[in-house]
Amino acid sequence: MEKSNRLYVFIGILVLIGIIFISRLFYLQIIDTSNYYKAQAYGSNEITIYPARGTIVDRYGKLMVYNDAVYDLMVVPQKAKDFDKVALCNELMLDTVEFNKRLKKATKYNPREASVIYKNLPFHLYTRLQEIIYQFPAFYIETKIDRRYNINGAAHLLGYMGEVTEKQLTLDKYYKPGDIKGITGLEKSYEIYLRGKKGKKVVLVDKFSKQQGSFAGGKFDSLPSAGQNVISAIDLDLQVFGEQLLANKIGSIVAIEPSTGEVLSIVNSPNYDPNLLVGQRRNKNFASLLLDPSKPLFNRALKAPYPPGSTFKTVQALIGMQEGVLTPDTKYPCHGGYHMGSITVGCHAHGSPLDLKNSITKSCNAYYCYVYRSILDNPRYNSVQDAYVKWTQYLNSFGIGVNTGIDLPEESRGIVKKPSWFEHEFGKNWRSSNVVSMSIGQGQIGLTPLQMANIAAIIANRGYYYTPHVVRSIGDQHFVPPSFKQRHYTMVNSMYFDTIIAGMANVCSPGGTASRTGIPGISICAKTGTAQNPHGKDHSIFIAFAPRDNPKIAICVIVENGGFGADYAAPIANLMIERYLAKDRTVPTQKPDMLDRMMKANLTGKTSTVKDSVIIAKPN
Amino acid sequence: MEEKLHIDWLSVILYILIVLFGAINIYSANSGVDEVLKLDFSKEYGKQILFIGISAIIVFLILLTDYKFFNFSAYGIYIVVIGLLLVLLATGSFNKGAQAWFKIGSFKLQPSEFAKYATALALAKFLGTFDVKFEGKRNILISFGIILFPMLLTLLQNDTGSALVFGCFVLVLFREGLSGWWLILGVYLLTIFVITILLPSIQIIIALLIICGLFTYFNRARKQLVFLALTVFLASSFYVLSLDFVFAKILKPHQQQRILVTLNQDVDEYYAKKSKGFSIFKFEKSKEKDKSESKRDYSYNVRQSKISIGAGRWVGNGFNNGTQTKAKLVPEQHTDFIFCTVGEEYGFVGSTLFIAIYLLLIGRIYYLAERQKNVFSRVFGYSTASILFFHFFVNIGMAIGILPVIGIPLPFMSYGGSSLISFSMLLFTFLKLDANRINEISRLN
Repeated sequence: MEKSNRLYVFIGILVLIGIIFISRLFYLQIIDTSNYYKAQAYGSNEITIYPARGTIVDRYGKLMVYNDAVYDLMVVPQKAKDFDKVALCNELMLDTVEFNKRLKKATKYNPREASVIYKNLPFHLYTRLQEIIYQFPAFYIETKIDRRYNINGAAHLLGYMGEVTEKQLTLDKYYKPGDIKGITGLEKSYEIYLRGKKGKKVVLVDKFSKQQGSFAGGKFDSLPSAGQNVISAIDLDLQVFGEQLLANKIGSIVAIEPSTGEVLSIVNSPNYDPNLLVGQRRNKNFASLLLDPSKPLFNRALKAPYPPGSTFKTVQALIGMQEGVLTPDTKYPCHGGYHMGSITVGCHAHGSPLDLKNSITKSCNAYYCYVYRSILDNPRYNSVQDAYVKWTQYLNSFGIGVNTGIDLPEESRGIVKKPSWFEHEFGKNWRSSNVVSMSIGQGQIGLTPLQMANIAAIIANRGYYYTPHVVRSIGDQHFVPPSFKQRHYTMVNSMYFDTIIAGMANVCSPGGTASRTGIPGISICAKTGTAQNPHGKDHSIFIAFAPRDNPKIAICVIVENGGFGADYAAPIANLMIERYLAKDRTVPTQKPDMLDRMMKANLTGKTSTVKDSVIIAKPN
Repeated sequence: MEEKLHIDWLSVILYILIVLFGAINIYSANSGVDEVLKLDFSKEYGKQILFIGISAIIVFLILLTDYKFFNFSAYGIYIVVIGLLLVLLATGSFNKGAQAWFKIGSFKLQPSEFAKYATALALAKFLGTFDVKFEGKRNILISFGIILFPMLLTLLQNDTGSALVFGCFVLVLFREGLSGWWLILGVYLLTIFVITILLPSIQIIIALLIICGLFTYFNRARKQLVFLALTVFLASSFYVLSLDFVFAKILKPHQQQRILVTLNQDVDEYYAKKSKGFSIFKFEKSKEKDKSESKRDYSYNVRQSKISIGAGRWVGNGFNNGTQTKAKLVPEQHTDFIFCTVGEEYGFVGSTLFIAIYLLLIGRIYYLAERQKNVFSRVFGYSTASILFFHFFVNIGMAIGILPVIGIPLPFMSYGGSSLISFSMLLFTFLKLDANRINEISRLN
């Protein structure tokens, strides 16, 4: 080869290298997109700006749940060199040994990433540090939002917040690891409204995670939008009053506004302070609450099925009338109870025979054994089993044995057995006599306090109910979920309710089962219940609504092992009714003795662990 | 006498384009995110502008110089630069550890950058001497000596990258008559080298034996070929074994890892295999020890570089908008990894255009070199183009992850006074010689 022709070898090499380089670039820049995405991850750091979570207020606008800023002092250990350690420790009022310990821990965790070195700075320290923090470039103050509760009860109702689980992370892309969300109560069921929309700020970071400025001129940044405030139907004053009344007793109160289905209060006892489950203390306190033998975490109002006892007679009577086996004039005799073969259902002393209205007022057991058996033995049906199925359908229309659909998580359906259960128990051809105890709300039937309160609301409404709901409206636009406005009619015609109401109206009057608990001037329609239970003394149960015309409140009170319905449940319910209906809550009760007795009663056998359920003073 | 400057304006324009583009990219890689565009001589991009100014003055002086000066003083310059390298080496041995620069005020002068220029001059002078051709043992030895001497000195300074650049003079010698077989041999040796690192040496030797055996069998009638095949086999086997030895015992861990990273090897896995008798030479414990440190660094450089370039996609993020660049994620981005900025901010389109312009400049110099009428100018031209080409090839090759990380600058682009000035001198000395080609022709006539 002529040497001068070797120029072409050189040109050839240049072209070849050019082609190789450009092909490689084509692969790196166009085909292999992984680098592009890695670049997004490396070069920029997405800082989530958390929105303020919505607050929760009571029906009169009183703040129940709100947010508070907490300030943490953060450190990037790698950069924490050559600073005046003694000066900083003096400001923090921390000895250097402890400071070094924390710094070492942070370094061990990750020297390049920011760690908390001082959690929950007191406000005066926060303001002081703001002035001098520039002297300590490795340190900065991070503001976090924490939840605060204005009440030291109502914990089951309001719920608490907790860290999202891995499963929830996969289900809802909104959350990132370490995020906090509502775990129970309103915090859970209204999570999507309360949480708001996260904002983000994308910042350029260098390889030490040091921020270099905003990414792409803030093109991808977005501002957070605060969560919506939730206006609850709860009457905070009534709620606190109920908690005071139930202190040192085990039980539950549920109060509903019948005309709307709005829940006025849900009281559980034992209860706990929701502020215990906030921030750093959450895990520790949760563990001790979980281990507490009195089970303060248990939401009795929604989850505990109680035998309804005599309060169930109202439902039995209504079904009987609708089924045509009972009229207001039907009379049954009662001589100390109901006797049939070997079965005896005892009854207390009262006149005999009684008509329907008086059977409610006097709460005659025998009467309802006749009623229930005539429902089940109705010749319209081929068998007891068919009649029983029909009867359970009636119950379902009363919200019994089904979820009421309340806007709180973890509701129990209560207990309504299927016919097969009785077949298993009593053989294929079981008879009405086998289940006669259910006629008076004992045996194979269980209702939650919420369901019993709902029955009171149904009777108050003469035959329908709105799904009980704790929330009135959401956000500034006062959005009301349409399901809140939907009436649910029972299978019982409204004309049958008057007799029952007439009977209930006399319960708190002389001759009634709770004659001494009435409140002068308020027409309370009620039904006592005394539920036997195998674990101890009878449960004291009471359902009521008031006033008789245009009812404003329907209520159910259960005091476990409280004895007769009139002993504890009735006084507590009537005091609640009086309180709620009073225009001025500062006016003292007309029954100060009864109030005093209820407040002082201690059924738990423990010496007082009374929580002072007075609303915490709150700035702003 | 009125002398018209017959300078090759195409080369000058390409040079100016690349230098200014370089300054822009250094600004991008060097300035803060929200920094206002201004000239700040305390920053690297400010200094680079200063270096461009100095280069312009030097270029101007070169163009004013009589072309005969370069031929005349070639050996002198060579000796002075070699002397500087020796002085550095001597002071380095006193100061514990090698130094590659002289400190003049706040600037560092790197003689190894000028050593290429001096070597190019000396080689051109030697081969351009009347009656000297790249033939005969003596001339070939002297030619290689001129190249190898500064190469060795640079190597002793621990500046492996710069030392390797002297290898590009082989291309010049190829133009001057070195047999093409040597180039093929070079490629063969390089291939064997890569395979040796990747596979157990025993397997390679067995494979070579089989190939040699088959070759011998089919050519058993021709004794000469059989003899040749056996020689090649023995030499190759010896080469493989010595490579293995050098790699395991002589190369420093960071050098091993640079090579491994380039060959897409997982360093940890590689060492694990090696320790299980993969190689016949045991890797020493002490080398394993500091591997974790250096391993991360080299693979990190290449990974960041690739991510940065990959982030550019079709048209890039635009000037001063490269996220990786602004976040300073690529180490040495304003010097050896300046191409990352091009890749990220101007994308595939910009990078391709840049590579095309660069190769056009190199090709243009080769073309100009070939048209020289005297050997001195031609050898110097080929040297200029080959030096630029080697730098270009290695620098961009490492940035896009197809060559090992060898820290050498991208001429005219990378930040650095010594390199910009020395490359400018190299280019414009040649352009001055080329401009004088006309005079030479007119004188011959």
